[in-house]
Amino acid sequence: MLNAIEGSQAIAQAVALCRPQVVSAYPITPQTHIVENLSKLVANGQFNCEFVSVESEFSAASVALGAAMTGSRAYTASASQGILLMAEVLYNISGSRVPMVMTCANRAVSAPLSIWNDQQDSMAVRDAGWIQLYCADNQEAIDTMIQAYRIAERCELPVMVCVDGFTLTHTLETLDMPEQQQVDDFLPPYHFSRTLNPQKPISVGTLVSPDYYSEARQEHHQALLDAQAEIIQADQDWGKIVGREYGGLLNIFGDADAKIGILCLGSVLGTLEAALQQGLVTEKVKLFQLRCFRPFPSHALQLACEGLTHLVVLERALSVGSGGIVSLEVAVALNYLPQPPKLYACAAGLGGRDIPLQILPKLLALTQQPPQPFQIIDLK
Amino acid sequence: MFALKADWSQEIKKRYFTLDDYTGGEARWCPGCGDHAVLTVVQRICRDKQILPEKTVAVSGIGCSSRLPHYMGTYGFHGTHGRALTIACGIRSRRPDLDVWVATGDGDCFSIGAGHWIHAIRYNMNMVVLIFDNNVYGLTKKQMSPTSPLGFKNNTAPRGTILQPLNPLTVTLGITNVSFVAQTIDWNPAHLYATLQAAHNHRGTSFVRILQRCPVYSDEVFSDIQNDPSKILFLNHKNGIHIGDNVKRLFPTQREHDPSNMSEAYDIARNHVPVGLLYHAPQTPCYEDFSSVGRHMGIEDKMKGLNDALDQFAV
Ligand SMILES: Cc1ncc(C[n+]2csc(CCOP(=O)(O)OP(=O)(O)O)c2C)c(N)n1
Repeated sequence: MLNAIEGSQAIAQAVALCRPQVVSAYPITPQTHIVENLSKLVANGQFNCEFVSVESEFSAASVALGAAMTGSRAYTASASQGILLMAEVLYNISGSRVPMVMTCANRAVSAPLSIWNDQQDSMAVRDAGWIQLYCADNQEAIDTMIQAYRIAERCELPVMVCVDGFTLTHTLETLDMPEQQQVDDFLPPYHFSRTLNPQKPISVGTLVSPDYYSEARQEHHQALLDAQAEIIQADQDWGKIVGREYGGLLNIFGDADAKIGILCLGSVLGTLEAALQQGLVTEKVKLFQLRCFRPFPSHALQLACEGLTHLVVLERALSVGSGGIVSLEVAVALNYLPQPPKLYACAAGLGGRDIPLQILPKLLALTQQPPQPFQIIDLK
Repeated sequence: MFALKADWSQEIKKRYFTLDDYTGGEARWCPGCGDHAVLTVVQRICRDKQILPEKTVAVSGIGCSSRLPHYMGTYGFHGTHGRALTIACGIRSRRPDLDVWVATGDGDCFSIGAGHWIHAIRYNMNMVVLIFDNNVYGLTKKQMSPTSPLGFKNNTAPRGTILQPLNPLTVTLGITNVSFVAQTIDWNPAHLYATLQAAHNHRGTSFVRILQRCPVYSDEVFSDIQNDPSKILFLNHKNGIHIGDNVKRLFPTQREHDPSNMSEAYDIARNHVPVGLLYHAPQTPCYEDFSSVGRHMGIEDKMKGLNDALDQFAV
C-alpha cells in the first residue's frame, strides 16, 4: 500500500514485518525514531516482540547477540558513536557466525562532534565481518531490511543495513509498504542451527589456538564472499514478490555505453541522478550505486567497468592519513582488468555538508585531468 | 640602592575576576531549564573564590547538561557519551593543580557511564561531580533514563517504565572509598550554592546529585515535591550544608543528620527525598595521594634510589 511516511517509521514497520522476537537498542540521533517507532508498535500491541531498552549500545548489541544465540530473530540499530561503541561486540557476533540484522543510520563521528550524515561510522567497522548494504532511498531501505533477514539466516552472518541519517531517516517519501503475508512467504520462521539444545550442548566463542585461528578467519572470509550469491538471490526473489529490484550487489544507472562512470554509496545517488536528468552535463555518464560494500563485489564491479575510460569514486568518509576507503578497494578490483579505467577518488558531504546538484559537473571536471591523489572536493 | 623589577606592576595589582571571566558562549538551554541555575551557581562560586580561570576545567560527556563547558570561560572538554568521569580522572591524574568540575546527566552517568561512576567514586580524585538528574534523556528527546520514575511515559516506553528507578544515592553510598555525597535541587539557589560550595571545599570526589527540572520532557517528575515541599527531607547538621533560616523555612520537614553516619545516610537515601549532605568522610584517601608519591623527586633522587635498589643485588 502506498503511504507518505517518514523513513525511520517505514524502517521500523519493515523490521516489525520480519517478526524479530527481540529488539534491543539505545537511542542516538539519527537512529532514535526507528527504535521509538518500534517501541510504539510493541506498546500498541501491533508487534509481538521483546523490546529491551538498555543502557548503552555495547549492551544493545550484546543483548541482541545473547537473544540470537537462543535462536531468536534479533534486531538492533545505532549510529555514529554508538556503532563505534558496539565495535567489539560486532566482531564477536560475526565471528560466532550468529545471524542478525541491524540498521546503521549513518552519521559522522566525533571529534569534532557532529550529528549529521556521512558514512564514517559504518566504514569504521567495515572489517568487522558483517555484510554491509547501503540504501539509496527509503523504498530500498524497507526492501533491504526484509532481504537482510533472509540473507543473514541463510548465510549465518549478520547484516548491517546502512541508511543515510536525516537524508533518509528523517524525510517523508511515498512508499509501498509490503503486506505481512508477502514477508511471511519470503521469510520463513527462523531456525538457528546452533541454538540452545540440551541434547547437544556446545560452547561458542571459546579460545582458539594458533593451530586453528587462521582457518577460522578464512572460513569467515569465505562465507562473506560466498554470501554474494545469496544477496543477489534475495534481491531477485523479493523482486518477484513486490516488483522492485536493486541490482543485487551493484545497481547501475545512466548510459550503458558511457565511457565515464561515477560510483557512490547511499542516498547521494538521488542527487547524481537528478543532476543527470536535469541535463547539468552533456557527457554520457554511467552511475554505479555500490549497494553491497561487504562482501566487496570485485567481480561484479570488474564486469560493470569494462569499457570505461574514467571512473570517479565519490565517498562520504575517508581513511584519515590514507584517503579513500572505497576507492582503494575499487582500485584493487579494477587492477585485474586488462584496460582499467582511470580512477578518481574523492569525498564530499562530510559531517552533513550538503551535496548540491552542481557536484556532478564538478566530478566530471576531475576526469579532464590526469588522476590526482584523493581529495575532499567540497572544501571551502 | 633602588631598583624596579620588570614585573613589579603585576605583583602589586592583584588580578580580580568577574562573572564575565567565567562565562563562555551564551547558554542555549531551553527557557526554564534547571541547567541555567547550576551554571550560574558554578560561575558564582568560581568568582566568589576567585579561582583562576586558567586553572579551571569543566569536563562533560554528552547530553543537554553536558553542554556546560561551552558556557564556561575556563578550559572545557566536551567528551563522548558516558566518559566525563574518566576524562576528568585523566586530567586530575596528571594535573592535580587544576580545579575540575564534571557535568554529567542521569543518562550519561547512570546508563552508559555507569561503570566509570563506580570506579571514579572509588578512585576519589579531587573533583566536583555535578549530576544533572532530570529523570530523562533530554538531548535525544524524551527516552527513559535509569532514574525515570515508575510508570513514566516516554518515547522508548510509551506505556510507561516498568522498573523501579535506580537510586543513585544508595548506590554511591555503597561504593568503597566514597567520600562526599550530597543532594540538592536546582530551584533553590541558596541551597544549590551552599551544596556546591561544600562540594568544592571537600578534597576528594564530591558527588552531588541535583534534581533538575526539564520543563520540556519531564516536567511532571518533581511536581510532587514542588507542590508539597514537606515531602523533601531537609538535612540539618553543624557539619552539613548551611543556609540561612529565611530559606530553611521553605523546607517544613527537617531532621538532624550527622554526615559521618553512613548507615543513617543509607536509610535516609533509601526512604526519603533528602536535600543536604548525606555523607562526608574528609579523611578518605585520594588516588593522587598514592599516585603522586615521588612525583617531585629530582633526577638525582631517582638515581640514588635506583642505585640503592641495585646495590642490594651486589655480588
Ligand atoms: C555512544 C552514544 N550513544 C548515544 C548517544 C546519544 N545520546 C546523546 S545524549 C543522550 C542521553 C542524554 O541524557 P542525560 O545524560 O540524562 O542528559 P540530558 O540531555 O538529560 O541533560 C544520548 C542517549 C551518544 N551521543 N553517544
